[in-house]
Amino acid sequence: MTASILDGIVLGLQFGLLATGLTLMYGLGGILNLAYGQMAVVSAIVTVSIMEAGLPVVPAAAIGIAVGALLGFVLDQTVFRPLYSLRGEARVLLSLLLSLGVALMIDGFLNWLFPLKGLSLFIGGGAIDVFGEPMRRGSLLASGITIVAMGGLVAFFRFTTLGRAVRSVIEDEEGARLVGIDPRKMLRLILLLSGGIAGLVALTRSMVAPVDVTAGFGITVFALIVTVVGGLGSITGALAAGIILGVINAIAASAIGTFMSLVILLVAAAVTILVRPAGLLGVKE
Amino acid sequence: MLEVRGLSAGYEGGDVVHDVDLRVDEGEAVMVIGSNGAGKTTLFRAIVGLRPASAGRVHFAGDDITGSPAQEVVRLGLSFVPAERHLFPRMTVHENLALGAYPSRPDPDTLTMVFDLFPRLAERRRQLAGTMSGGEQQMLAIGRALMAKPRLLVLDEPTTGLAPKLAAEAYEALNTLRGRGLTVLVAEQQVPLAMALCDRGYVLEGGAITKEGTSADLADDPEVRRAYLGVT
Repeated sequence: MTASILDGIVLGLQFGLLATGLTLMYGLGGILNLAYGQMAVVSAIVTVSIMEAGLPVVPAAAIGIAVGALLGFVLDQTVFRPLYSLRGEARVLLSLLLSLGVALMIDGFLNWLFPLKGLSLFIGGGAIDVFGEPMRRGSLLASGITIVAMGGLVAFFRFTTLGRAVRSVIEDEEGARLVGIDPRKMLRLILLLSGGIAGLVALTRSMVAPVDVTAGFGITVFALIVTVVGGLGSITGALAAGIILGVINAIAASAIGTFMSLVILLVAAAVTILVRPAGLLGVKE
Repeated sequence: MLEVRGLSAGYEGGDVVHDVDLRVDEGEAVMVIGSNGAGKTTLFRAIVGLRPASAGRVHFAGDDITGSPAQEVVRLGLSFVPAERHLFPRMTVHENLALGAYPSRPDPDTLTMVFDLFPRLAERRRQLAGTMSGGEQQMLAIGRALMAKPRLLVLDEPTTGLAPKLAAEAYEALNTLRGRGLTVLVAEQQVPLAMALCDRGYVLEGGAITKEGTSADLADDPEVRRAYLGVT
């Protein structure tokens, strides 16, 4: 049981970090980005390709994350452009369609060009005991990196002028404009940031299990469930929901079986919506 | 300081405001009075760049700001306080005020000035804006606008939803600011309050300016007295 919970926390931390990117894109710009998982996979494939070319893991990973961020920026400047002339529900719906198209295209390209590629960053060395359970070094390192990244994100949004400006657009877009904040610039920043987050999560995930070219939609689905449970537009909600669902997922997988764990996550998400329509910490519309 | 010429604006169905001329000189306080639905909000939103104008020009401090978005207009020194306030509800009073100075760090002297003007905000600086009363939210909205150190403060019905005592307090604060040389343009339905503050005024009816004059002249005008001052 302790082992399942610890595994769940490792996974949940990653879910939570992953979902912050999705929830920010939605909260800030009304964009539901179904190509999010593919952004993560692109980062992973870039990283493994660079490593195969002979570069060490750390610079390869840095480039992989940068490419993820760049992909977010490119999406903002190209495919997502038509979205910005729309408002409200129309924007959300068109973003679903456009990003789905992007996801299918990226999936197609990756399967065609690198059918067998996948990233596994296995960290060697013996297991380390945590609460009497042996934990792989990879899991611990992945969790450590994720916690640092979360701390950095929370500090950015809480204490920096730019981070507060991003939050203000989520809170009240017109109010933000009235103090001189350009919502479009903030959204561009968030697409860049969320691309980087997706890349980082792909890398830490690959320390625990391989991330291959087909992983994209699975990652998007996990991120969506966590985002819905945490509340669209809430950063702390996404982090909390990630950990809770990670633990539920791990317990369900060990008690019933992996095949049922995704269904149980969906049930947990559905129950949350029934009890709290705005999610754990969602923004009320 | 502000010059509006031939301004028309409205929604897809047609213009709500027609061919409005209006000016505010440096150091003046000017009011736009009119009943509900006269077009005051549409006029002000077009002036500050929250809504496009369909015709006419808006000049502010030597710049043509027609069509400039609100986020650029505020950087030129024109701060707008909308009737709905548009605060950041899940952020603290202090965070709201700090964002008023965006992109700069909040200036400590300006912050002290705002807290002197509205001591309630100082007491509640750690409270979330969304949990405050209507009067306190109005103070915060004005305070946030002041953090940008505006040369012209534009307010749309600052007394919306306020009890008479709080409405009077809000105008007292505006009077203090005027005394320090701030230029003010205010739209108001509660005409006596605005008249006591302002030098001049315009009457907006059906989206067009129907009268203009000094506050004293308007106060003596029989139609204004009947329609807005409740005197028969």
